[in-house]
Amino acid sequence: MSSGETVLTRCTDARPGLGQGADPVTTEIIRQGLNAAADHMKSALIRTSFSPIIYEALDFAVAFYDADLCMLAQAPTLPAFMGTLGFCVREAVTAVGGVAALRPGDVVLYNDPYGTGSHPQDAAMVVPIFVDDDLVAYSVIKAHWLDIGGKDPYCTDTVDVFQEGTIFPGVKLYDAGNRVDGIYRMILANSRLPDAVIGDINAMVAGARAGGEALTRLVRRHGLDVFRRCVARMYDHGESLIRAWFSRLPDGRYRADSIIDWDGVVDEPVPFALEVHVEGSTVRVDYTGAPDQRPGPINCPLPSTVAASRLAVAYLAGAGEAPNEGHFRALEVLTRPGTLFHPVSPAPCFMYGIPSDHAIELILRALAPALPDAVPAASGGDINALVWWGTREAGGTPWADGAPHPVGQGATAAADGANALMYLSESATRFTPAEIWEVRNPWRIERCALAVDSGGPGRHRGGLGLDLSFRMLEDCYLTSALARTRLLPWGLRGGQPGRPNGLTVEYPDGRTASYDLRTRVALPKGALVHLRTGSGGGYGDPADRPAELVRADLADGYITAQHARRWYGQATP
Amino acid sequence: MNQRPAPSRGKTDPSTVIGVDIGGTFTDLVLRDEAGGDIVVAKEPTTPEHPERGVLAAIDRAVGSDALARCRYLMHGTTVGLNALLERRGATVGLLTTRGFRDVLEIRRGDRDDPYDLYWRPPAPLVPRRLRLEVDERIAADGSVVAGLDEASVQHALDTFRRDGVDSIAVVLLHAYANPDHELRIEQLLRNCGWDGDISLSHRVSGEYREYERTTTTVVDAFVRRRMGPYLSRLSQGLADRGFSGDLLVTRSGGGALTLPEVEQRPFETIMSGPVAGAAALGRLAQRLELPIVIGADVGGTSFDTVVIEDGRAPLLFEGRVEGMPLQSPWVDVRSIGAGGGSLAFVDEGGLLRVGPRSAGADPGPACYQRGGSRPTVTDAALVLGMLVPGELSGGVRLSVERAREALEPLAAPSGLDDAVDVAEGVVRIAAAHMAQAIRGITVERGIDPRTATIVGFGGAGPLFSCLVADELDVAHVVIPPNAGNFSAVGLLSSDATRNAARTVVTPLDAAALERARAVATGLLDELDPSGTVPFREVQLDLRFQGQEHALTRGLAPDAGVEDVVTDFRREYGRVFGHGLPGPVELVTVRVSARTPLSVTTGLVPAPRESAPTSDTAKVWCFSRRDWTEADVVSRGELATRGPLPGPLLVVEPTTTTYVSLGFLAEVDGEDCLILTRKDCP
Repeated sequence: MSSGETVLTRCTDARPGLGQGADPVTTEIIRQGLNAAADHMKSALIRTSFSPIIYEALDFAVAFYDADLCMLAQAPTLPAFMGTLGFCVREAVTAVGGVAALRPGDVVLYNDPYGTGSHPQDAAMVVPIFVDDDLVAYSVIKAHWLDIGGKDPYCTDTVDVFQEGTIFPGVKLYDAGNRVDGIYRMILANSRLPDAVIGDINAMVAGARAGGEALTRLVRRHGLDVFRRCVARMYDHGESLIRAWFSRLPDGRYRADSIIDWDGVVDEPVPFALEVHVEGSTVRVDYTGAPDQRPGPINCPLPSTVAASRLAVAYLAGAGEAPNEGHFRALEVLTRPGTLFHPVSPAPCFMYGIPSDHAIELILRALAPALPDAVPAASGGDINALVWWGTREAGGTPWADGAPHPVGQGATAAADGANALMYLSESATRFTPAEIWEVRNPWRIERCALAVDSGGPGRHRGGLGLDLSFRMLEDCYLTSALARTRLLPWGLRGGQPGRPNGLTVEYPDGRTASYDLRTRVALPKGALVHLRTGSGGGYGDPADRPAELVRADLADGYITAQHARRWYGQATP
Repeated sequence: MNQRPAPSRGKTDPSTVIGVDIGGTFTDLVLRDEAGGDIVVAKEPTTPEHPERGVLAAIDRAVGSDALARCRYLMHGTTVGLNALLERRGATVGLLTTRGFRDVLEIRRGDRDDPYDLYWRPPAPLVPRRLRLEVDERIAADGSVVAGLDEASVQHALDTFRRDGVDSIAVVLLHAYANPDHELRIEQLLRNCGWDGDISLSHRVSGEYREYERTTTTVVDAFVRRRMGPYLSRLSQGLADRGFSGDLLVTRSGGGALTLPEVEQRPFETIMSGPVAGAAALGRLAQRLELPIVIGADVGGTSFDTVVIEDGRAPLLFEGRVEGMPLQSPWVDVRSIGAGGGSLAFVDEGGLLRVGPRSAGADPGPACYQRGGSRPTVTDAALVLGMLVPGELSGGVRLSVERAREALEPLAAPSGLDDAVDVAEGVVRIAAAHMAQAIRGITVERGIDPRTATIVGFGGAGPLFSCLVADELDVAHVVIPPNAGNFSAVGLLSSDATRNAARTVVTPLDAAALERARAVATGLLDELDPSGTVPFREVQLDLRFQGQEHALTRGLAPDAGVEDVVTDFRREYGRVFGHGLPGPVELVTVRVSARTPLSVTTGLVPAPRESAPTSDTAKVWCFSRRDWTEADVVSRGELATRGPLPGPLLVVEPTTTTYVSLGFLAEVDGEDCLILTRKDCP
């Protein structure tokens, strides 16, 4: 085990008292203006990007940070990136020489996983916003590029971070408005899909600059002094909203543990535990019980550990408000360097999302005794990412595509779990229609259906997972990045578990093979890939499920007669 | 099905035209004699169970039998289809789909409307799983047949539908937009088996790809058809009984109007026809006043609706949403936010003053209406600030400043404000900021700087907020048109008859592709207009850079070559997104429209003459000085007589009040428009 040193991450008030006396009406107008500006930045990126991962899967985040690196606003984008951009703004600015080295027109590129929290494919553009001569804020976009080098377009088996992609540790892509061609050519030279990456770079730069213009208008309209005071009051407001909710939680230390399938390199289960400490209106998530960092790429850099913690409590306490820095002040995160949730470079971290996604549901589960009616049973629990690539037979052009896939949701005290929704960390993500996929990629979807009988039985039934079958029309490669393929999605209060995730390939020669974390599976023309996404756990004893609901499930074919007899004692109608 | 309203009925007396707008609360009717003269306006309560009764009551009240007999057409905006969806009362639909894709309607796109809602559940699908059945067949993206249709599976499905009381069948097969053969064969088989109920085929409803979106559109079509058909028959009969022999027309979500037989074919095209008439009227105003960019600011009871008109045309989207369901149908891009006169003000748990999106609605309405409402609204705030004149409104409502003040006062302490007036000022400023943000959103997306635009305020409270919104956006020119209070209903009188069609054809754009696009367009237009009598035919192409998903829609001139098309696309892309790109251009979708103008004039419909111009003064809040000031209160007719007057100023007329801020100059022009100009930038 590593040393006993621990790190506490929390947001403190950078300018205490500044918000006192700020006009509440102007504060509300500025708050709305910031959220609207972030939204504009988001729609600009969606409409001009080239990667389906950006425009369909919405795998990106856009936000504004103030000069103290506090989050002014983040558009509703990938929840997994909640509040992580502050870390990379700090690292990016430091890397180019600090605030003194920034000039209007600069765009700083940063994708070091230890600062972004994710893999090198998630590249951030940081644009400093100057009003007159004052640096007032930054606009930031972090988005998933289809490829930026690395041993494969998507990797589950790396042994250090250098295998995962080319790292740009904070470099100016634009210097005072002029493109730095050396950097630009470096990017293109290191991508298997330079055309898509060029398009996405342009979309990100244009989006971040448009965001900067919107924010500048807002500051000019109200004046910098009023803007800063009102923003300080806005943070105080966000903090008081969240603290009011937390203070209703019963004080205590809540613990949960679970098991990650394996790390992609060494085939052994990885058990881990976390604790949630509630004291007054402060919540601390304690990861110091985490195991040492792993040889395979499931290590979760600190920014994503913090993001997962923020996301879990936002789901419980957020009340639908657009988040700002104030929302994070009541939350503390305790980690130990050298462990799964605070790895040290160069530990591989391509699949950082596996522990962070797992932690989100585990924090909820830990709090279930304190909030029995608020916490749902487990969902399929993973984004079920599949990434495909190859060279088209006609024309020989390289192609790549990747997507997350929906899972069944856990049942709650109030209702059955929803069928087939994206996992919480990617809840804004959209599933691609088969008709678009088939125009774009050399495959045919033979089946896209709800998995009958998959929902965990209970008084409230878990949501159904998905059965998807892809027929390859040309040779290609697949990286299967599935987690939670062994652990059953847990039920609550007598509810039964759902089914885990899984993937099987039927080869044209009749052979079959199953994969969970596997990089570069060669798929010959004619191969059939079956993806089975996990379902939700049930809530409450199945014996208590009203007979009319069981009959309705039978009539609609969500369950079979055999399943009804086994779990609900229901005779065949 | 392609019958067109005749341009003239050959009668000796001048003809009339009638517009009827069925809103949530009131049914508004406007009658105009085409030879000129004042319009006649009537307002009747909407009768949601039988909407035709409200329409006929308004006709009985306001339209004489002679005027009705002379009526050339009755243009009609309806919410019958929308309400069928909102109330989930429509046909029992059975859905037939490709083997393996039974659950498309329920899987949706896997996303959540609110990504931060742990408990979010999608609304129940319009067709339950037991009525979604599969047939064995498969067509590929290029239209080739991968597996032939198993006709026995169709018969089998029909047996189930009959047993379960299905009365409308929707058929959605994968890639049917590229090859409709199997859908057409299923229709034939169903008819051969004796099915005489409705059938909706996806390739007829929408020629575009994306199976979830095309499925919802087809299912909605099947679902609302049974509500729309009987309603239109009853209305049509009621009108005939009263001696009406003109054309009954229904406005479309995508602008323009459909004839009765067309609506029966494509009822889903009318689902969101509500805001369309206002956009059409704005287009006409922009052309008449030669304004290149106009921003509509329509403030009603519950919402603020905004639209950008460029070169006299309202922007179209080709997908809309109702109740979370996407519809692949042309859609005038009117954005709506919950900031209207009835929007509620409150102080949240963190002590900030907030406005909307919840609304006091029509019942009980704002506190100042004295109809039992006690929660403070935007209208209450405007009244306390003197922006509205106390007394009686047109609907018989008496405004009470006292009630408004009592409702606002309790918000002062928890938000840290001094008194009811401070709260009122905050509520109005926040509401105006919300409106300005919505406008900024739609202008930024189109690459337009709002400072170059003219704001046109209409709806009951649009003229109240136009100057404040103009101040937020640094806009120097505001126009309040005649009949601003019922601008949308009046706008019905100037709609055109329009049909659209589209087909997805994803292919690299070269000379051959352009030729193919023209052939597809000609085919689509000939289906819309077999006799070739429609005067305006237009072709548009959805284009994008290869690799992108989102496309720009550009008009295709008859003589344009591939170079012209590409150059135009690149120029527009650069204008909208602020950066250009290299790379090849791709064709996505071919769109056509066939349009027949109905109105005989291009002028604005003048407001009825005032009976007696009035002039007064009142204590009014001045937002820039943050203090009370003594201001003129004049009628529109009085202002026309007295010439330009500076703000602060109130201009009153029967259906609305215009608040003119300090710094603006108000005058009435030759078109009877109220022109407000910021003095510091003429």
